Amino acid sequence: MSEYSQEDRQAICASFARLLEENANEPKLRELIETRSGFDRELWQKMADMGLTGITIAPEHSGAGGSLEEVEALLEIAGGFLLCGPFIESCVIAPALLLACEDQEFAGQHLQAIAAGSSIFAVAGCGSSGDWDELPDVVAEQQDGHWCLSGSAHFVAYANVADHCLVAANVQGEIGVFLVAMEDPAITATLHKSSDPTQRLSTLSFDSVRATRLAGVDEQAWSGALVNGLVALAGEQVGGAQRIFTITIEYLKIRHQFGQAIGSFQSLKHMAADLLVELESATSVARHAARAIAAGNEDAATMSYLAAFTCADNYRRIAADAIQLHGGIAYTVEHPAHLYWRRAQSGQWAYCSSDRLRDLYLAEMEKNHE
Amino acid sequence: MSDNVKIAVEEWLDSHWDSENRRELGSQAYDERSWLTKVVDAGYAAPSWSREWFGLGLNGRDVRDIEKAFQKRHAPGWGRDRFHLGAITIYKLGSDELKGELLHKLLCGPICCLLYSEPGAGSDMAGIRTRAVKDGEDFVVNGQKVWTSNAKEAEYGMLLTRTDIDVPKHEGITFFIFPMKQEGVEVRPINQITGESEFNEVFITDARVPERYIIGEYNEGWKSFQVAIASERLIMGMGVTARSSGLTSDKSPALLRLARKHGRLGEASLRQEIAQALAYRQLNTLNMQRAVEDIKQNGMSSLMSLGKLSMSRIQHGEARISAKILGPQVLLEDEEDARNANFDAAKAYMNSIGGGTDQIQRNIIAERILGLPKSADVDRTIPFKDVKTS
Ligand SMILES: Cc1cc2nc3c(=O)[nH]c(=O)nc-3n(C[C@H](O)[C@H](O)[C@H](O)COP(=O)(O)OP(=O)(O)OC[C@H]3O[C@@H](n4cnc5c(N)ncnc54)[C@H](O)[C@@H]3O)c2cc1C
Repeated sequence: MSEYSQEDRQAICASFARLLEENANEPKLRELIETRSGFDRELWQKMADMGLTGITIAPEHSGAGGSLEEVEALLEIAGGFLLCGPFIESCVIAPALLLACEDQEFAGQHLQAIAAGSSIFAVAGCGSSGDWDELPDVVAEQQDGHWCLSGSAHFVAYANVADHCLVAANVQGEIGVFLVAMEDPAITATLHKSSDPTQRLSTLSFDSVRATRLAGVDEQAWSGALVNGLVALAGEQVGGAQRIFTITIEYLKIRHQFGQAIGSFQSLKHMAADLLVELESATSVARHAARAIAAGNEDAATMSYLAAFTCADNYRRIAADAIQLHGGIAYTVEHPAHLYWRRAQSGQWAYCSSDRLRDLYLAEMEKNHE
Repeated sequence: MSDNVKIAVEEWLDSHWDSENRRELGSQAYDERSWLTKVVDAGYAAPSWSREWFGLGLNGRDVRDIEKAFQKRHAPGWGRDRFHLGAITIYKLGSDELKGELLHKLLCGPICCLLYSEPGAGSDMAGIRTRAVKDGEDFVVNGQKVWTSNAKEAEYGMLLTRTDIDVPKHEGITFFIFPMKQEGVEVRPINQITGESEFNEVFITDARVPERYIIGEYNEGWKSFQVAIASERLIMGMGVTARSSGLTSDKSPALLRLARKHGRLGEASLRQEIAQALAYRQLNTLNMQRAVEDIKQNGMSSLMSLGKLSMSRIQHGEARISAKILGPQVLLEDEEDARNANFDAAKAYMNSIGGGTDQIQRNIIAERILGLPKSADVDRTIPFKDVKTS
C-alpha cells in the first residue's frame, strides 16, 4: 500500500511538472537529442535533490519511500515531456533488484547513491531477441571464487551514461543478476543510432568481466522487478499518449478547411472518439496495475501484463493517428508528433513485445480460471 | 456502518427468502409481485435513493453489499435503481405527485418500454412525429413507434411526442409516462435476426394519457429524454445486453472456456485474439470503476460515455472469435456452442445500433467530451412543420 496521501502525490507531481517545464521543454529536448549522450545530468541531479531518483527507495537509504503508485504518476508526467534518461532502469528496476538482495549492507550503499543522484544504473536484461523473459545470452561462471560474465547483452538503455550495470545472466540454466562497473575495460559498449532520438541503446560485450552476484536474487525477484518496470513504462506511455492526444484535439479545433474547423468533419471526429477510448483505457489500467502492485494484490501480475501491452499498443495507435489527423504539418521534423510516434514505436519492444505480453496475460488468466 | 448494512440485509433475506426453492419463505410458489413489493418496502430495491422515495440513502460499498447478498441467494428484486429505466427517470425528473402515484407501483413489477424511435426518426430522434394534443385533463396521442422492445409485456411506456410544430424540432417535444394497456394501442411483433421477437411496432390511435403523467416540463421533453437516454447508455456500457455478460464476472470468461473445451487454447494466433478480447472486457470494467471514483470526487465523469461504444467492440469481437474457435462447426446449429456463437454475432448489433448507434456515440464523445465543433444539423433551427422527410 502506498504511504503517500493523494495530496502528497499530487504535490510531488506538480513540482516535477514545474521542473520539467523549465528544464525539459521542447526546445531543450530538441537540443538534447542532438547530443551524443542524449542525457541531461544536471537535470538528473535536480531530480535527485527533489527525492525523485530515490522515489522507490526506503527512507533508511535516504530515499523517498514511495510505491509504484507514485512512480506511475510521476512517469505520466515524464512521458508527456518525452523525458530522456534511464529513470525506469535506474530508479525502478535496479532498486527493486537491489532491495531483493540478501546482502543489504552491499545493496544499501548503492541504493543510497542512486537516491543521491551520484550513481546511475543501467540494466542489461536480454539477448538479441530483446525479450527479458527469456534466458539471457550472457553466461556467468565461477572462476577462482569469483563470478565472471561472458557474452553480450542487447538493447541496454542509457548504458552510455551509466556508472553501474545490473546484468541478468544465465547461471546453468537459471537467471542470476550481477553488478558490474561500467568503467571496467573488459566491457565493450557499442552505442547505436536509435530509431527513437529520445532514446539511447547500446550493445554490451562482456569478455570475462568480474562481477558481483546479487545474493538471493532469483528468477522470481527478476520477474518481480521486471513487472515493476513494465508498469512504470505503462505510466510513461499514458503520459505521452495524453500529451500528443491533447495537442491533436487542439489542432482539430483551430485548423480550418472548406470554411470550417477540420474537427467538424465526422471521419476525424470518429477517429478522435475511438482514440479517447484507447487513451482512457490505457490510463485506467496503468493506474490500476500500479495500485495492485503497491497493495500487493494477487492479480498484480495479471494486471501488469494487461497494462503493459495495452499502454504500448494504445500509445502507438494514438501517436500514429495523431500524424494522420494533423496532415502534412506533422510530416515535418519541426512538429513534435513524430517524436511521440518514435517513442511509442520504441516502447513496443521494450522488455518484450506486446504479443509476448498478451500471451503472458492469457496464461495468468488461465491460471485464475482453471 | 457498512457492516451493519451487510448484516441487516443478510438477516432480512434469511428470514424472508427461501434460496433453495427460490421463493418467499413459507410460500408454495414464486409470486413476483408479492416478493418485489416486500423488497421495495424494505428499501433494498433502490437502496441508493432517498428514504422519502423507497430508498435507504446509501451508496458505494453498502449498495454493492446489498446486491451481492441478493445475488448470492438468487433472490430477485435488487438493482431496480440501476436497471428500471422507467422508475429511474421518474425518480429523477417526475413531480412529487407523479412519484407518489407511480414510483412504488413501477418498482414492484410493471415493465416499462421505450416509445422513442419511429419509422422516420431513428438517430435523429428529435425528428419524431407522434402527436400529443391537449384535451381536458388529458392528452390525446396519435402516431407510430417502432423497435419498441418488450412492448407486449409493458404496462407503461416512456413516450416521446410532438406537442408543437411551429418551433424547431428540439423545442416542441413532450415526454410522458404512458399507459400501454388501453384501447388505441396496438402492438405488432417484429421478427429479429436473432430469432427472437422482443421488439415491436406500436400503433397509437386516439390513445389518452393524463397531463400529470408528463415527465419534466411541457414542450421540454428533449431535456428529460437526455436524462433517460443517458441512463440507458450507461446500462448498455456495463454489458447487460449480452448473454455472455461481464456482470457475472465470477464465471470463467466465456472465450477461455470455449477454447479450452474445443482444444484450441494452444494456438498462438488464437491466443493473441482471445487475450485481446479478454483485455477489452477488463479494460472497460476498469474504465467504469474509474468513472465511479471520478463521480465520487467530482460529481461527474466523462468516462461513463465510453462504455457503450467499448461494449460494441467487445461483443462483436467475442462473437467473431467464438466462431473462429468453432471453425466450420459453427455452420451446424445442431450444437449448442454453434447456436450460441451465431446468436451472439447477431445480438451484438443490439448494442451497436440500439440506444443510439456507434456512429452517434462517436459524435457525442467528440462533441460533448472533446469539444469538437458540432456537425451540421440542417433542420435544427427551422420550425418543425417545415422539416424535410425521407
Ligand atoms: C435490438 C434493438 C432494440 C431497440 N429497442 C428500442 C426500444 O425499445 N425503443 C426505441 O425507441 N428504440 C429502440 N431501438 C431503436 C434504436 O434506438 C434505433 O435503431 C437507433 O437509434 C438507430 O436508428 P435507425 O434504426 O432509424 O437508423 P438510422 O438513424 O436510419 O441510421 C442508419 C445509419 O446511418 C447512420 N447515421 C445516422 N445519422 C448519423 C449521423 N448523424 N452521423 C453518422 N452516422 C449516422 C447510423 O449510424 C446507421 O449506420 C432498438 C434497436 C435495436 C437494434
